[in-house]
Amino acid sequence: MSSSTLSRQTSQPRTTPSPGIKSGLSLRRRRDTLNGWAFAAPFLVFFLVFLVWPILYGFYMSLTGKSLTGANDALIGFSNYAEAFADAGMWRSLGNTLYFTVISTVPLVLVALVMAALLNIGLPAQWLWRLSYFAPFLLASTVVSLFFVWMYNPQLGLINDFLSKFGIAKVGWLNDPNVAMWSIVIATLWWTVGFNFLLYLAAMQNIPVQHYEAASLDGAGAWRQFFSITLPQLTPTTVMIVLLQILASLKVFDQIYQMTAGGPGGSTRPVVQYIFETGFTGYRLGYSAAISYIFFGLIVLVSALQFVITRRRSA
Amino acid sequence: MKQFESLTGKQLSRRQLLTGSALLGGGLLATSLTGCGGAAQATGVREIGFWHLLSGGDGTKMQTMIANANQANPGFKVHPTVLAWGPPYYTKLAMASAGGRPPEVAIMHASRVPGYAPGGLIEPWDLGLLAENGITPENFAPRIWEKGQQGGKVFSLALDSHPFIMFYNTDVAAKAGLLEGDGQLHEVSSPNEFKAMALEMQKVTKAHGLSFGYLNLGSQMWRLFYTLYKQHGAEIVLTPGRQMEADRDAAIESLEFMASLFDDTIAAKSGDINTGIAEFVRGDSGMLFSGGWELPTMKKAKLPVDAVTIPTLYGTPASYADSHSFVLPRQLVVDEVKRKDAYKFVSDVLKGSLLWAEAGHIPAFQPVVQSPAYGQLTPQIHYANAADIIAYDPEAWFSGSGSDWQTYFAEHIQNVLLGRDKASAGWDGFVARTNDLLSRPNPV
Repeated sequence: MSSSTLSRQTSQPRTTPSPGIKSGLSLRRRRDTLNGWAFAAPFLVFFLVFLVWPILYGFYMSLTGKSLTGANDALIGFSNYAEAFADAGMWRSLGNTLYFTVISTVPLVLVALVMAALLNIGLPAQWLWRLSYFAPFLLASTVVSLFFVWMYNPQLGLINDFLSKFGIAKVGWLNDPNVAMWSIVIATLWWTVGFNFLLYLAAMQNIPVQHYEAASLDGAGAWRQFFSITLPQLTPTTVMIVLLQILASLKVFDQIYQMTAGGPGGSTRPVVQYIFETGFTGYRLGYSAAISYIFFGLIVLVSALQFVITRRRSA
Repeated sequence: MKQFESLTGKQLSRRQLLTGSALLGGGLLATSLTGCGGAAQATGVREIGFWHLLSGGDGTKMQTMIANANQANPGFKVHPTVLAWGPPYYTKLAMASAGGRPPEVAIMHASRVPGYAPGGLIEPWDLGLLAENGITPENFAPRIWEKGQQGGKVFSLALDSHPFIMFYNTDVAAKAGLLEGDGQLHEVSSPNEFKAMALEMQKVTKAHGLSFGYLNLGSQMWRLFYTLYKQHGAEIVLTPGRQMEADRDAAIESLEFMASLFDDTIAAKSGDINTGIAEFVRGDSGMLFSGGWELPTMKKAKLPVDAVTIPTLYGTPASYADSHSFVLPRQLVVDEVKRKDAYKFVSDVLKGSLLWAEAGHIPAFQPVVQSPAYGQLTPQIHYANAADIIAYDPEAWFSGSGSDWQTYFAEHIQNVLLGRDKASAGWDGFVARTNDLLSRPNPV
């Protein structure tokens, strides 16, 4: 709609001025356009070469039987997709990714909210709290993984050593299929909660203080104020944090690969690792491209859902 | 061959990490040195790239062997790049070869060659050129030479065979009255005799009789399983498009025996590979199932140690092993001069592989094995017979050392060993998984 109004606006004046002015105008316009493209070019080149082209080529690859060795790269239609939909390994790893997403997103949002709310009460030494909450986020995934691999070590680890002082039996934090994913979530929580915390804190500090003043005049207590003012005011932030968190959690790979390599018994293997194994250690690039497009579809779906929700909200 | 799977698992010891990072650092340094190759090029010294995955005690030996070869050949200089054991190494080597600009020469496990050769990722060795450098088929044990072949061509030249063996603490064995007159361990030939022997040792150590750590390490579970399975005289045949052929009874019997060892008396119920080695080095057990490549660790700890092949418990002597082998990754443009240098380098290393034997491996080059100097090496000569009873992995594009297939094995078998699952259920799950792989299109 905006393009049609724009073209009407630009096409109307063109009929009135003399040919000379007209050509000068269009010359300047053309130069502006060129300048615009020149400024946009660095981004566009990267966008095309490193995003658009890989997306197109990846999709083409998913329609071939291409292998890492260069063998059989003929088009085979959608048979990779058919194979993937019947592949228990893909469904299991996709299930692991979704499981991780659910059990990590909830605490990553709630804990961030609680931390921000606590800080917003006005604790002393604000900078220290902010720093200590946010600092882990700055660490590389390898560093975080090594920390936790040591702490989770069943024999020598800090955590089991501490628990044993209370007579609690040793827990196979990363060795027990029922516990491993939770252990990874705990590590991830410590590592990345600082980012959500910071977003929440910024949003809380933007809530006009008059709201709280009016509420206390009306006799509202701290809890009442939190649930009736703070939370509703934070809704747009919450929606954004939840979306960003879901997308980040869906992409999980680093810390899992480094802490359990997908084990024990494949109980923590995320779909990204399955894609990596299929393509690079299993040589089947075409097939692994097909799985990544199925996963891509899922991510697009989540993003679209989010888009709809936020648009309805703002409308 | 330090198990660098551990970098991604939790079997990481601090020493391993330090050695690993130091060696990787060394590798980086070596690669960055190639950046200054201009100077060397100017003086006519050719740079030969060499990738390997040896980062334990044997990595140091390899470094010495490379230095020796460089000294003997002023015309070229070999620059090693050390990469992490297992998938990280094989993905990078495959990618580099697929791209056509890999190093001139590389080390591969012989068991991984069937996944590389048919797709053209590596090139065959020229027998004529090898002979010019004094290397002939007769220099290798037949079984090992044969393993290097694919479709009638020689794709890999074995540097060694490195079997899965049994170390034992001679002090503990002597106290338990298990040493024969010649100072060798009493021979056992059945599962029950073996357990009885382990229990005797346990009485001496008061901790465990045997050490074997396996948690989260498919390759480790596979090594012991495949040794015991092959001792049944059974085979595993993997043909793409067909079902896996295996002897189910032999497999289940082997798995049940393995599981019965982890009762916290014979061996610790659960432990990873490093916990097992540490326990044995501390003297808290009398025996250790391990790769021969752990020998430098034992020597360093000044442990009174000897070693034998895994006792034959099911009639047929067999010992899981693999071979570090030299391969020529596919080059887009072959520099004939450099390729000749690679031949010379490899032949020099093979001829100097007595040094390699010190790291616990059995040299593949027979003139070294037959030399009097090798006969002096103990305990190496006590398990050198492993070379005759080697059981390499069944061949398929997805099998071999550090392959995903071994990870899948762990996924189905670990619960059996932990006593949470029946041997039959674990095995059937693994067979189903393997059949699934066999039913997929073969990418090589």
